[in-house]
Amino acid sequence: MATSRSRRGGPPEEPEVGTTGRYLVLLDERDLAAGARAMRRQAGVRAVASASEAPEGLEASGADAIIFDDIGVAVVDARPDRVASVRALAESAPSILAVEPERYVYAIDSAEYARGYRDGVADLVRRLDGGAGPEQEATTSLEAAAAAAGPGAAATSYTWGLTATGVPATTRTGRGIKLAVLDTGIDVRHPDVARRTIMLASFIPGQTVHDGHGHGTHCAGTAAGVANPSTGQPRYGVASRAGLHVGKVLSNQGSGTDQQILAGINWAINMGCHIISMSLGAPTSPGQSYSQVYEQVGRRALARGVLIVAAAGNESSRPFQIAPVGHPANCPSFLAVAAVDPNLAIASFSCGGVNGGGGEVNIAGPGVAVESAWPRPVLRRTIAGTSMATPHVAGLAALWAETDPALRGQALWDQLVASAKRLPLPARDVGAGLAQAPV
Amino acid sequence: MAVTCSVAATEPAAFDDVVERCRRAGLEVAERLGAIGVVTGTVDESALARLAAVPGVTAVERARSVQLGDPDAPVQ
Repeated sequence: MATSRSRRGGPPEEPEVGTTGRYLVLLDERDLAAGARAMRRQAGVRAVASASEAPEGLEASGADAIIFDDIGVAVVDARPDRVASVRALAESAPSILAVEPERYVYAIDSAEYARGYRDGVADLVRRLDGGAGPEQEATTSLEAAAAAAGPGAAATSYTWGLTATGVPATTRTGRGIKLAVLDTGIDVRHPDVARRTIMLASFIPGQTVHDGHGHGTHCAGTAAGVANPSTGQPRYGVASRAGLHVGKVLSNQGSGTDQQILAGINWAINMGCHIISMSLGAPTSPGQSYSQVYEQVGRRALARGVLIVAAAGNESSRPFQIAPVGHPANCPSFLAVAAVDPNLAIASFSCGGVNGGGGEVNIAGPGVAVESAWPRPVLRRTIAGTSMATPHVAGLAALWAETDPALRGQALWDQLVASAKRLPLPARDVGAGLAQAPV
Repeated sequence: MAVTCSVAATEPAAFDDVVERCRRAGLEVAERLGAIGVVTGTVDESALARLAAVPGVTAVERARSVQLGDPDAPVQ
């Protein structure tokens, strides 16, 4: 499947903004030699067999391409007159699965190189995962706008939730911080997502990470949506440059088991995520204690410098009834997030710390009339829930984590709590108050 | 019955030892989650006590399910 935007012949084009001019070629791992042959015969590309043959990198080796055997990716530095044939390889050679412009330049050090191309593979893999068929050109005006605008351009307006938490004034973007959203997955071909590199995994048997529900896309958008969405203003994402990891632990029907959720947490920690956002849970009854298994998970995470942020739950019908914080947010080691509305009043559905013994609300986030991304064709949607408040806090945690490498795990939790905006509401309902961004 | 078990050991060899003992106690292992010290799987209800008594197992719980609201619902 070719992912290049133009199939025209003619004079060589300037590299797209944000790309290096080189290409990543995804080879069929079952026959790397066939892929190398196809590159040579059809595009005149001379490759060295593996990174070990060219430790100084592509330029120094004199080859046109290096193949990273263990991940089945070749980096091709094609001569200008060869670019069109390189791009055409995905159509012309069965042993070549995809061709993609390289987005970033990596250091010559070979381990760094391989890691970078693994990110490149993840980018390719997510295109393959979400795609229904080959797509040669930007076919919609939204995709063309995405290509033109770029994710880095400054936004001009923000959702109320971003404004209330101080995002417009912050200099931080979450860059260098890895944030996992464990939910129903993400629409990988949503125009606002399409230019972002995301690590993906599905823990739902028989379902890909593609979001067939909507909830996951909305939450991921709030936590880490791009600064200049191609679907238009206002901006809705908090940590626009965080390393986004999407783990599908809830099915397209919105259901998940502990087995899937715990596997997702394990994955996020193994992937080096600093923050895990979980907008999911089950109701608890008054007096019910928290899960010992999840509490151990939360403590292990904090000890490793990982902060888990979870939704307090939506079972209340205030003022008549305040439901207790749900599972797993009721674990003491999980940062439990309540929802406030645009007047900074407690949302009617937001669960409260009525159980004690761990089932407290720790902090609050914007959770009413929250606009974010939604799977195609809807693209944008405004909904409510502690599910929406949670990724706000997770994104804000990423901004704080970027300010200081010591802000990890419990220290990051303490910083969020210390810097929260105090509200004239009971701690039972909002914990320390409304989470805020660093300046 | 689907269960989740927390394991005290963090070091990989010790974790694997406990998982193996769980298996011999009747757990049909689904996931070994070393980074968080959890093993998940299924076990016959009659073997629950034996599983909980395995040295190194700190908790055994029935696996829960969570369910989101309808995607068209205004509150999620």
